[in-house]
Amino acid sequence: MILAGGNSYRMKELSNRRAIAAMPMAGSFRAIDFALSSMSNSSIQKVAVLTQFNSRSLDQHLSSSKWWDFGRKQGGLFIFPPMLTTDNSHWYRGTADAIHQNLDFLRQCHEPYVVIASGDGIYKLDYTKVLEYHIAKKADITVVCKELPPSEDITRFGLVQMDEDSRIVRFDEKPMAAASNIVSCGIYVVRRRLLIELIEQAVYEGRHDFVRDVLIRYKDVKRIYGYRMEGYWSNIASVESYYRTNMDFLKKDVRDYFFREHPDVHSKVDDNPPAKYNPGSNVKNSLVANGCIINGTVENSVIFKNVFVGNNCIIKNSIILNDVYLGDNVYLENCIVESRGTIRADSRIVGGEAENPRIVIESDNRYVMQ
Amino acid sequence: MIKKEMIAMLLAGGQGSRLGVLTSKVAKPAVAFGGKYRIIDFPLSNCINSGVDTVGVLTQYQPLRLNSHIGIGIPWDLDRNVGGVTVLPPYEKVENTEWYTGTANAIYQNLTYMESFHPDYVLILSGDHIYKMDYEVMLDFHKAHNADVSIAVMPVPTEEASRFGIVVTDENGRIQEFQEKPAEPKSNLASMGIYIFSWNALKDALIALSGQSGCDFGKHVIPYCHEKGETLVAYQFNGYWKDVGTLGSYWEANMELIDIIPEFNLYEEFWKIYTKNDILPPQYVSADSVIERCLIGDGSEIYGKAYNSIIGCGVVIEEGAVVRDSIIMQNTVIKAGADIYKAIIAENVVVGENVKMGVGEEVPNRLKPSVYAFGLVVVGENSVIPANVSIGKNTAITGVTVPEDYPDGYLGGGETLDVENRSAQNRRETMERLSSDMINDAGQEKAGDVL
Repeated sequence: MILAGGNSYRMKELSNRRAIAAMPMAGSFRAIDFALSSMSNSSIQKVAVLTQFNSRSLDQHLSSSKWWDFGRKQGGLFIFPPMLTTDNSHWYRGTADAIHQNLDFLRQCHEPYVVIASGDGIYKLDYTKVLEYHIAKKADITVVCKELPPSEDITRFGLVQMDEDSRIVRFDEKPMAAASNIVSCGIYVVRRRLLIELIEQAVYEGRHDFVRDVLIRYKDVKRIYGYRMEGYWSNIASVESYYRTNMDFLKKDVRDYFFREHPDVHSKVDDNPPAKYNPGSNVKNSLVANGCIINGTVENSVIFKNVFVGNNCIIKNSIILNDVYLGDNVYLENCIVESRGTIRADSRIVGGEAENPRIVIESDNRYVMQ
Repeated sequence: MIKKEMIAMLLAGGQGSRLGVLTSKVAKPAVAFGGKYRIIDFPLSNCINSGVDTVGVLTQYQPLRLNSHIGIGIPWDLDRNVGGVTVLPPYEKVENTEWYTGTANAIYQNLTYMESFHPDYVLILSGDHIYKMDYEVMLDFHKAHNADVSIAVMPVPTEEASRFGIVVTDENGRIQEFQEKPAEPKSNLASMGIYIFSWNALKDALIALSGQSGCDFGKHVIPYCHEKGETLVAYQFNGYWKDVGTLGSYWEANMELIDIIPEFNLYEEFWKIYTKNDILPPQYVSADSVIERCLIGDGSEIYGKAYNSIIGCGVVIEEGAVVRDSIIMQNTVIKAGADIYKAIIAENVVVGENVKMGVGEEVPNRLKPSVYAFGLVVVGENSVIPANVSIGKNTAITGVTVPEDYPDGYLGGGETLDVENRSAQNRRETMERLSSDMINDAGQEKAGDVL
């Protein structure tokens, strides 16, 4: 089950139009592709995506299950927004409530285990390894964790402390001061029947958050273990980390890990032509997705699909999302340009430092006849 | 009842020998084009864009790449419950089992396939042309003229008309006469090898000509229909259409895509061309690279310089390498310091460090002067070119080559280097050595057990 319904004020205007899980990533992907691909590559055949906030964006991306190979007779890809029923008239009031509103789905499954994941993590993970670990540890719940370098601000995560057997002894959700540098990745493995029990109990008591009301509350009663993830992991749910994660793909080791090593990351396929470099194009240390036409200078940037860069443009340290049109002589530095924007010729927009890129939203409609 | 107004039959079984080593292991329709496409993507996309959702693809020569590319037709939305795309290879029968001996013979052998859709019209296409065409408009023309056969034609310059099959029409578009590569053409309308037949006309002709060996549309079926007095009309097409049958025209058609606003524009929203995407990630362009006038496919990594070139998906051009006026296909690696000029390099090739391609004077190719011309260097798929060698113009290379294949580190202009068979020999020897080693190992283990 992928929990993709949340919003975060940390995404600022970027979440005005779309769910975080539908954020474009790394030039030609969306954030949720990484969780979905990991599931598909781990032979998980039945996946439910729980959506709520700006769910349209996600629905469009998940309009067909074939790209992730979920077009199966057994299982498949399910999209579950909140729904009105005779005994429920609420939106998803929290992660546990979201699962609770879909308990019927869980009850009708026959699979013994459930993987709960979020849609905003950028990683590759073999969930079968996590499950093997879960069984070997005789755990009730296994939490996938990642040790982050001390330099990172990790107080927006759940922080865990483990004993020598990897059993979680302390779990602080978004603490003011970090007591450890191991964060929960928001990926859990739990036995299906136990999950149903825990969720029913929590909601019966009027509690709606999976972390606070299940993980932390049951920490000493149930065997909750941490599984340390080895490879790259990043959560994109803040503007700063979204920007940094995209820029990480300019590093060869990150690109090789995601794009060249087995297994592949899958995504919905657009029918765009190859990128085109016209005379005057000057691209340095950048990622360029398909369908782009480049006429100007691009440095240290990530250019998403179908972007047009006009003559004499200079784009530095920026992220240009899908379908953006940049007129001639535009100068952009440290910006994130929202998709489908049109930047008028001769514009000059400079954002702050890398920790504070400027979000540019232009709604100039280029299709309006004058 | 299953019923389709018009179905398409796409002839994709030809070798395309004039593409030389590019088609030594794949059928011509499966050859890469324009950075991320294959030639067959154009007629297939035209079909779905024209509302033709039932397409039989006739394969014969080297069909593996074609089969895996087409699959169940997902990229073209041709995965249908009824109809969709079907790959039709030749098959064994109770009597008269044979290969497809000609274009019309291939269609004849699949009468049952066509009959199962109860079509009113059948569209015959070939899988080796680059164009965007609305077959529905052609069908409307066919119906409006109460035609039995419509042939798509396009005007060509009169001086070139003698290279084509020419049709002569009256003022209503009715065909009066055919001229196959005439010395003195009476018209400038060249047949494009695209036909719409009314079902009964096609069926009658195919059955009547079933004994004809090498039965061909241009040579036999059309003349038969003409003699029988059926209504043949010419549908004039005025858009971009390119036969990429020779290395020269293939190279040219690719290069035309680079123009700022090309005549054949892949960037238009209308009439998209679909293809199977194996590689999704964006391309990476390094800080030291220079790229000018290029199309570059997904997932490529460019550390060197590329000018005026078409570069496929997943290609790596290493530091200091220079690629000019060339076509590089999927997953090929150009190692550091290589200098590539006017080359067509097929898929999964490794070009060693400091290799120079396209050097020296232009000399006609000694083996196949009409194929390997135009000053090009052509490298077949899965080839390896060792470091530090130079290669002249009008050359062809295929197979895993070693420095000894290049006397003085140089392959002169006009030479052909084909070590495909030798590498098979090498492989066999290696395999034999390996398997005998394994037997020896196993024998020793057994001996150890006994002891």
